[in-house]
Amino acid sequence: MATLPVSLENITEHFGPHLARSLGNRLATGVEPDKTVATHCCFCGMQCGIHLKVKDNQVIGFEPREDFPFNRGMLCPKGVKRYLQGAHPDRLVTALERDPNSPGGFRPMEYEKALDRVAAEIKRIQEKYGRDAFAVLSGASLTSEKTYLMGKFARLALKTANIDYNGRLCMVSAGAGNKKAFGVDRAANPWSDIPKAEVIWISGSNVAECFPITTDYVWQARENGAKIIVVDPRITPIARTCNLFLPVKPGRDIALFNGILHLMIENDWLDHRFIEQHTVGFEALAEHVSQWNPKRTSDVTGIAEKSIRQAAEWWGTAKSSFLMHARGIEHHSHGVQNVLGAINIVLASGRIGREGCGYATITGQGNGQGGREHGQKCDQLPGGRDISNPDHRAYVAKVWGVEADEIPKAGVDAYEIFREIDRGNIHGLLSICFNPKVSLPDSDFITRALEKLDFYVAIDFFLNETAHHADVVLPGSLHEEDEGVVAQVEGRVIRINKVVEPPGDARADWTIIQDIAHRLDCRKGFSFANPGEIFEELRVASKGGTCDYSGITYEKIEKQNGVFWPCPSEDHPGTLRMFEPGSWNPIAKGAGPFYFPDGKARFNVAPYTPPTEDVDADYPVILTTGRVVSHFLSGSQTRRIGPLVDQYSEPRLELHPKLAEKYGISDGDQVTVESRRSSIQLPAHVVTTIRPDTVFVPYHWAGRQSINRLTISAQDPISKIPEYKVCAVRIKKGLRTED
Amino acid sequence: MAVPQQYEFFIDPNRCIGCQSCVQACGECDTHKGHPMIHLEYVDRPFSVQTAPVVCMHCESPTCAEVCPADAIKKTEDGVVQTARKPRCIGCSNCVLSCPFGVPKMKTELELMMKCDMCYDRTSVGKKPMCATVCPSQALFFGTREEIERLRPRSVPTNRFQFGRQTITTKVNMMVPSFSENMVVDVTAAMNEPPVDQSFDMEALAVSDFEF
Amino acid sequence: MQEKVKATVWGFCVMGLLAAAIVFGSRNLAHFDAALVGYTFAVLFATFGITYRYSMWLQRPPTAMYWKRGWQLFLQPAFLAGNLVHWVRKVTVDFAFNRFIFNRGKGRWGAHWLIMWGCVLATAITFPLVFGWIHFQTEPGNLEWYRTYVFGFPTFAFPVHSILGFLIFHGLVWASFLVIAGVMLAMRRRMKDHGAAAVQQFGEDFLPLILLFAVSVTGLMLTASYSWMRGQGYEFLSLLHAITVIFTLLWLPFGKFFHIFQRPAQLGVSFYKRVGGLETQAHCARCKEPFASLLHVTDLMTVQQQLGYKYEIENGPTDHYQHICPACRRRMLAIAQGRMWNR
Repeated sequence: MATLPVSLENITEHFGPHLARSLGNRLATGVEPDKTVATHCCFCGMQCGIHLKVKDNQVIGFEPREDFPFNRGMLCPKGVKRYLQGAHPDRLVTALERDPNSPGGFRPMEYEKALDRVAAEIKRIQEKYGRDAFAVLSGASLTSEKTYLMGKFARLALKTANIDYNGRLCMVSAGAGNKKAFGVDRAANPWSDIPKAEVIWISGSNVAECFPITTDYVWQARENGAKIIVVDPRITPIARTCNLFLPVKPGRDIALFNGILHLMIENDWLDHRFIEQHTVGFEALAEHVSQWNPKRTSDVTGIAEKSIRQAAEWWGTAKSSFLMHARGIEHHSHGVQNVLGAINIVLASGRIGREGCGYATITGQGNGQGGREHGQKCDQLPGGRDISNPDHRAYVAKVWGVEADEIPKAGVDAYEIFREIDRGNIHGLLSICFNPKVSLPDSDFITRALEKLDFYVAIDFFLNETAHHADVVLPGSLHEEDEGVVAQVEGRVIRINKVVEPPGDARADWTIIQDIAHRLDCRKGFSFANPGEIFEELRVASKGGTCDYSGITYEKIEKQNGVFWPCPSEDHPGTLRMFEPGSWNPIAKGAGPFYFPDGKARFNVAPYTPPTEDVDADYPVILTTGRVVSHFLSGSQTRRIGPLVDQYSEPRLELHPKLAEKYGISDGDQVTVESRRSSIQLPAHVVTTIRPDTVFVPYHWAGRQSINRLTISAQDPISKIPEYKVCAVRIKKGLRTED
Repeated sequence: MAVPQQYEFFIDPNRCIGCQSCVQACGECDTHKGHPMIHLEYVDRPFSVQTAPVVCMHCESPTCAEVCPADAIKKTEDGVVQTARKPRCIGCSNCVLSCPFGVPKMKTELELMMKCDMCYDRTSVGKKPMCATVCPSQALFFGTREEIERLRPRSVPTNRFQFGRQTITTKVNMMVPSFSENMVVDVTAAMNEPPVDQSFDMEALAVSDFEF
Repeated sequence: MQEKVKATVWGFCVMGLLAAAIVFGSRNLAHFDAALVGYTFAVLFATFGITYRYSMWLQRPPTAMYWKRGWQLFLQPAFLAGNLVHWVRKVTVDFAFNRFIFNRGKGRWGAHWLIMWGCVLATAITFPLVFGWIHFQTEPGNLEWYRTYVFGFPTFAFPVHSILGFLIFHGLVWASFLVIAGVMLAMRRRMKDHGAAAVQQFGEDFLPLILLFAVSVTGLMLTASYSWMRGQGYEFLSLLHAITVIFTLLWLPFGKFFHIFQRPAQLGVSFYKRVGGLETQAHCARCKEPFASLLHVTDLMTVQQQLGYKYEIENGPTDHYQHICPACRRRMLAIAQGRMWNR
C-alpha cells in the first residue's frame, strides 16, 4: 500500500516545501568564508560555472565564476539563489519509514535498518513476481558516475530489465532523431559557433527563460549581423526582438520544416555537393515534401505564408547558420519526426560540421547529455551502446566481469513502468532524482499507480511529492555534497566538486546504491571507494562506443576547463565540433564524418501527423506547457527557495485577450481549465503575447496546481517522450461547479 | 581604493530578457545585502514581455544629491554617486521623486534611502558589479571601452539623456544604434510610445481557425 | 556670499547668547570654575561653527523648503493635535529608542544607542558644570550632605556617602562605559563588515570613534588617578583629557557629529509626509497612478528650478517631467532606447 500515510497538509507541514531565505551567515556582511569552491550550478544543461562560499560546512553564498569559459560569470536567478538549497529545514537527514501515526506520516529510522528493510522487500518481491517486477527510476541531474552505477546496479544487483530515467521526459526525441540522422547523439557544435552564424533558427525553445545564458550567445550573433528566427506559440523574451517570429500552432513543427525544405528545393537553396557526398535519402525526402507548398504549410502551422517564405529565404541563402531546438518540438507524440524535420533543413543546407555552421538540441537537465549516455536508459548500455546489440552486450559484460546473457534485455520506458505497475506486473520501485507525480503527464494516473505499489523506496534529499508514497526514504546527497562529472549542453564533460559534507545520516547517493547492492549479496563490481573509481570504470566501459570517454580524466577536465567527448585516448584533446570533414569515428572508421558505416548522414522522411488529441467542439482550446525562469522541472528544489518563489509563486493560465473575451475572463480571474483527464483552477494572465487559440501553463507545481494532471500521456512511438506540448482543454471562468 | 578608470558600465535595455538574475544577485552584494537595488519591471506586460532594467546612471551632476536636504548623497572622486549616508539621510524621498531615471529606493521601515552604488565594495577593488557579472543577456555590461567596441559593432555608447529641456550626462553608458544621428536618448519623447515589439502583432501573424 | 554673511551673523548671535547665558547662569561667573575656561571657549567656538553651518545648510533650496514647510504644516491648526501626538511618538520611538537604526541592523543599533545615550548623559552633566549652571555645596552644618544648585538656585540635597551620591558623582564614569562599549561594537563592525569597509573613510567614520574613545578613556583615567592612585599624573591626565574634549568640540561642526544637529529635520520630514499623505495626491501623467503628495511634487518643481534644473517639457504630453512617477521614468528609459533601433 502506497497511499499517502497522512493528509497532504500534514506531510507538507513537516516536510515542506518550506521557503529558505538568506539569514544568519548568509545575510551577514562580515563573515569570512572558510573556503570557496569552484563547481557548477545544480540546475539546467547549461551547467554554468559558479563558486560556492562555505562556512561551517554550510554553503553561505556564491561568487560568480568568471574563469569558466562557457558562462564567464553569467548566471540565471536559479543559479544565483541555488546556494539556499543547502542547510534547508526540509533537508532529509535520516532514513524515514512510512508511519501514519508519526507527524508528517514518516518516522526516522536507522540507516542500516532501512537498508535491511529495502533489501528484504526487493528480495521478497523479486522472488514472488520475478526479477522484472522491481523497477528503477533514475534521473539526469545525477553525475555520470551515478547514472553509470544506476544502470549497472539495475542490471547486475537487481537483475531487472526495468530501469529508465527522467530524461525520458526531456531530450529523448532529440537523442533518437540525432541517432537516426547522424548516428550519434550530441550537440553537433560548441556554443562558440553561435555568434559566428549568419542566421540563428530557434524552434520550440524559450531560450531566455529556460537557458538564460544562451541569450548572450544569440545576442552576440545578432551583434555580428545575424538574423534571428524564432518559432514559438508565444512571444517569449528571446522572440520579442528577433528578426522573424513564426507563431507556430502547437504540434505542427514538422509541417513547418517540411514547408521550409519545399521552398529550399523550389528555389534551389541547397548544398548539392554536401547532399551528394555526405548524405543519403534526399530524393525520397524531396518527393515527400513536394506536397508541402507554402499554402498548405501555412494552413497547417497557423503561420502567415509571407513569414514562411521569408524564413525559407533567410535560411536557404545563409552562408552560415545555427539551428537549435528544445522541448518545444520534442515533447510530442511525433517529437522524433519534428527533430528529423529540423535536421533535414540543416543537412539540405550543408551547414554542419564547420565553424559557425551548427545544430544542437538545447539539453534540459544538468546532466541531460551525460545522463543519456551511460546505461540508465531502458535500452542502453554505457558508452551509448545498445542493449540489444550482441557485440555491445559482450563488451560491457567483459568490463563488468559477467557473462553477456546475465545482462537483462531492454526494459520499458519510464511511463510504461507506471502502466506496468497499474497492470500488476511491476510491484516494487526504487527511485532517485525523479518526481514523476509532478513531472509525468496525466499524473492522476501516476498517483493511482503509486498507490498500487507493494513497496517503494525513494532516495532523495527532500521529500518530493512522489516520495510521499514511499515506504522507505533514504537520505541522499545534494549536488554540492558529492563529486563527479556531468556532460553539459555542448557535450563538454565537466567536474562537479564536493563543497560540503552531507548532513546527519545523509550520504552520497553512490554509497547508498552500493550499500543496497551489498545487502542483495552483490559485492563484486560495487566496491568503489569514491566517484573517481567509478569514473575509471566508466571510461573503460565507454571505450569504443559512440560516447567515448576513455581519454577523459579528472585532471584533464580541470586543466582544459572541460573535455568534449568523444575523447578516445589520453593524448586526444576531445572533440569540440562533431562531423568535421575528415574526422574519424568508431562507426565510419574514416569513411566519412557521420556515425554510420558509410560515414554519411541520413535524410529521413518525416511525415506530418496532427497531435494525438486535437481540439474539437468539446475541448476547443490548445493547452501547451513549459517553464518559467525561476523554477526548475518539478520544483522539488526551487519551490523551496524563497526568493525564487517570490519571483513566480504560483502557476497562471496565460491566454490571449481575444480568447479571454470569448469566455468573459479578465486578468487575475480564477479560471477552471479542464481536459479529458482532470481539471485544475488557477488565475488567468491575459496577455497578447500568445497565440489566441492556445493557452499556456507552467508545470513546476504539485497537487491542485499541477498542470500535468491535465496533459496527455500519448508518447512518441520511437523516443517514448510524452506529448506535454499539446492537448485539448476547455476553459471556464470561475471554479468548477462541483467544487 | 577607487573604481579603475578603464572599466565602465554599459547598459543595453533592449537585450534584457527580464529574468531577474540582476535583482537576485544585487541583494547578494555586501554594501546592500538583502536589499536588491536594481530595478527590473515589465514595460507594459499585457502587451509585451519587454522589461526595463535600471541601475543608477551616476549622473555627473546628480539631481538626487542636489535636492537632498540633508547632504546625504555624495559622489566619490571616481564618479560613483553613493547611496545615502546613513547618519544623515532623513528619509524625505526628495531623491526618489527627483531622480530622472527613477533609481533611489525609499526603505520606509529604515527611514533611509538606498540606491545602486555600482557595488562599490566590488568595483572599488577591481571586480565587476554583481548585476553585470551575472546578467545572462549582458544587457548589463561592465568592462572596457575596447571590449564594448569589439563586442557590439552595431551600437555605440552614449551618456546623454534628455528630460524635457534638461540634458543629463552620466557616468554609466547606454548602448544606442551606431546609425543614430542624435546621440542623446530622448526619454520624455517616449512617454506615450508603446513597448518595442509591437511589430509582432500576434493576431496578424498567427493564422487560426478557432471561432472566437 | 549673502548666505555666508547671514550665517556669520547667526553664528555670532547664538554664540553671544550662549556667552550671556553662561555669565548669567553662573551668577556673574561666581560659580564658574576658572580651570574649565578652555572648555568654555571651545564650546563657544563650536557653537559659532555649528550655527554657521546650520544656517548655511538651512539656506540650501531643498532644506529651506523643508524648514519652511515643516513648521507651516506642524502649526496648521487642523493638523496640530495629530502632529503633537505624532511628535511624541517620533521622539520616543526614533530618538530615544532609535528604532529606525534597529531596523537597519542590530549591531549598528547597539553601537549607536550606547554611544548616543553615553554622550547625552555626559553632555547633560558636563556642560552645565562647565558653564557654572550647576554646582554642589555642602549643607551648612552638615558636611555629610550635598546640595545641588541650578543657576544659583538651591534644589535637592543628598548624602555624600550614599548610593545616590556615588551614582551622581560617577555619572561621567557610567557615561564613558556606555560610550566605550558602543565604540567597541562600532569598531568591530567597521573592521569586519565588507560593506562598511568599501565605503568608510578615516576622517568620516573612524576619527569620531577614536575621539569618543579618547575622551572616555582619558576621563576614566582621571577618575582612576584620584580614586586609587592618590592623584598620580593627574595634571598631565587632565591636560590630555582637555585636549581630547576640546578637539572633539572644535570638530563638531565639520565632521560626522554634525548629524546630531541635522537629525531633528527627520521630524519636519515626518510632518511633511504625514500631512502630505492626508492631502491631495499627485497622479502620474503617464500611468495615472498616485505616487506622491501633490505638495511634494510641486515643491520639488520649485526646488529643482531654484537649483537650475530645467525639467520643464515644452509642447509635450505634460508640462513637467516631475509629473511622471519613478516607475514610468524607468519604463520610458527602456522604451526610448528600444525605439532608437526601430529605424
